[in-house]
Amino acid sequence: MTASPVSRKPLTFRINLAYFILVPASLIALLPFAWMILSSFKTLKEIRQIPPTFVPQEFTLDNYIKVLDDPDLPLGIFYRNSAIIAFANVIQVLFTSSLFGYIFAKFEFKGKRVLFWFILSLMMIPHQMTMIPGYLILARLGLINNLLGLIIPAAVDAFGIFLFRQFAQSIPNELLDAARVDGAGEFYIYRRIVLPQLGPALATFGMLTFMFNWNAYLWPLIVLTEKNVRTLPIILTWFSNQQVDKTNLTMAASVLVILPVLFVFLLVQKWIVEGITFSGLKG
Amino acid sequence: MTNATQTRWRRFFRGRDSAEKQFLAGTISPLVFYMAFWTVFPLLWGIALAFFNYSPRQTGGFLGFGEGNEFVGLQNFQNMFNFSPEAPLEVQQFHIGIRVTLLFAALIVPLNLLITLPLAFLIESINDKVKGIFRTIFFLPVLAPSVGVAIMWGFIFHPQRGLLNAVLGEFAGKLIGIAWLRDSSLTVWGIPVALFAIVVAYLWQDMGYNLIIFIAALQGIPQGIKDAARIDGANWLQMFARIVVPLLMPTILLAAVLTMISAFQVFDIVQVMTDGGPDDQTQVLLLNIYSYAFRYQKMGWAAAVSIVMFLLVFSISLVQTRLLRTEWEY
Repeated sequence: MTASPVSRKPLTFRINLAYFILVPASLIALLPFAWMILSSFKTLKEIRQIPPTFVPQEFTLDNYIKVLDDPDLPLGIFYRNSAIIAFANVIQVLFTSSLFGYIFAKFEFKGKRVLFWFILSLMMIPHQMTMIPGYLILARLGLINNLLGLIIPAAVDAFGIFLFRQFAQSIPNELLDAARVDGAGEFYIYRRIVLPQLGPALATFGMLTFMFNWNAYLWPLIVLTEKNVRTLPIILTWFSNQQVDKTNLTMAASVLVILPVLFVFLLVQKWIVEGITFSGLKG
Repeated sequence: MTNATQTRWRRFFRGRDSAEKQFLAGTISPLVFYMAFWTVFPLLWGIALAFFNYSPRQTGGFLGFGEGNEFVGLQNFQNMFNFSPEAPLEVQQFHIGIRVTLLFAALIVPLNLLITLPLAFLIESINDKVKGIFRTIFFLPVLAPSVGVAIMWGFIFHPQRGLLNAVLGEFAGKLIGIAWLRDSSLTVWGIPVALFAIVVAYLWQDMGYNLIIFIAALQGIPQGIKDAARIDGANWLQMFARIVVPLLMPTILLAAVLTMISAFQVFDIVQVMTDGGPDDQTQVLLLNIYSYAFRYQKMGWAAAVSIVMFLLVFSISLVQTRLLRTEWEY
């Protein structure tokens, strides 16, 4: 709300009050992160101290060295697994969503209405409905404990198609027809004319897809049961169950798993926020 | 350009038709095959499973049906209505799951809206330069993996080493060792304290979504209305109650529905923080389905429970589409 001359006085009052609530509230919101980070620098002795300290009395990096050196916890492999799944799914979902979104927006063909209605109705079916048969199919195809088991079934996103159809509708037909007159092939038109027009949508939806895949827990938990194919969220709970008593190590591992990517997400926050506001999407 | 002119253009360039047909055939048919195999087939299989006493440990015929995995008809669904104390364990667990999930959603939705709407209003009312900082702080937990969130909060609620008991002990002047997540005897108004603990962790992570949805909606309120209210001498409380809430009603309803749908499907935080305990007090429906399908391998039963859960979510989704279709005008 911008200040207009009439409202100068009540506005200052409101602003003071707002800060009075917002500052403590944001400190409380940050507290769990602070608690995790500070605890990761405490010694085992200090973490077992009752009552606990907030700021470490004795600051140590040992927990990080131990976690990174732990041969039972090759974090590099788990980072790689998570990255393979997330990147592969982002690329294929962006490809299918933009291509079919464009087709549903700009082409007429037999059965289009039925197919689109079907895709729309898929958006209403929660994932857990296909969780059990999905697992049985993967088991029969020998894709349990295989990263492909998390990639192959995730190639088409109903919501993505719906979203890109909205965006593709605003592409002027003259642009497409001009390319056709010039003799461009249909796939070339999609690749060279449609995709660049969808740039912001690709960035936004790509970030959201990456985030959901990177943080996914339930489905990877079902499909990836062997240790070395696991993703970061699963290995984090496994590790915290292993180290029940050494919370300082768990916190160091949590920091190593959460913070780097949280930082990256923070940098691209603008697109994620845009995506959620546009779609009202929930995780 | 309208569709009619578009068709005329196409007819004009007759040669294009076959190229277009090829393009459509080459893209739509793989899509149809893919969806048939990875969505329609699993959906039908999932529904069929619910009518069998299916377990991957037993052998059967086509798709594992028949033989060991016998056809039981509607029995799985009929069992769900067995409310006697002698009902099979899975039925009792199912009733617990429904109750806990509804209770969880009933706590989450109002609490979430009561926090995020005023918070969005406050953030919108401050200086543009710092607005972004506050929004980022409250949005940050959305970006974190929920598993990490659960581990963080699990440590905060730790009976001896946790931050919460330490802070409470500081105020009380003595050691406090409440086992927030483990002690099933702790209840407030009949609601288990462990469930409250999960509600807190879940709210902390989930708030950011509604917050940014509300901030966007607040920015959409026409400036003229805000100015008019100010000229009439409305204070911030009147502004909130008389302008923001009524004008944002469609957004509030939509946010409530979305929050409810995701609350019905809570899993990660519960599984990591309590795994359904203590004494099944936090045994939400999806955790129940997961346990029966993948721990006890009673997939037929779990598939039947999934259908119930689907109906629950689906009925709420229908409300959502109804809301989306309604035309709202200022």
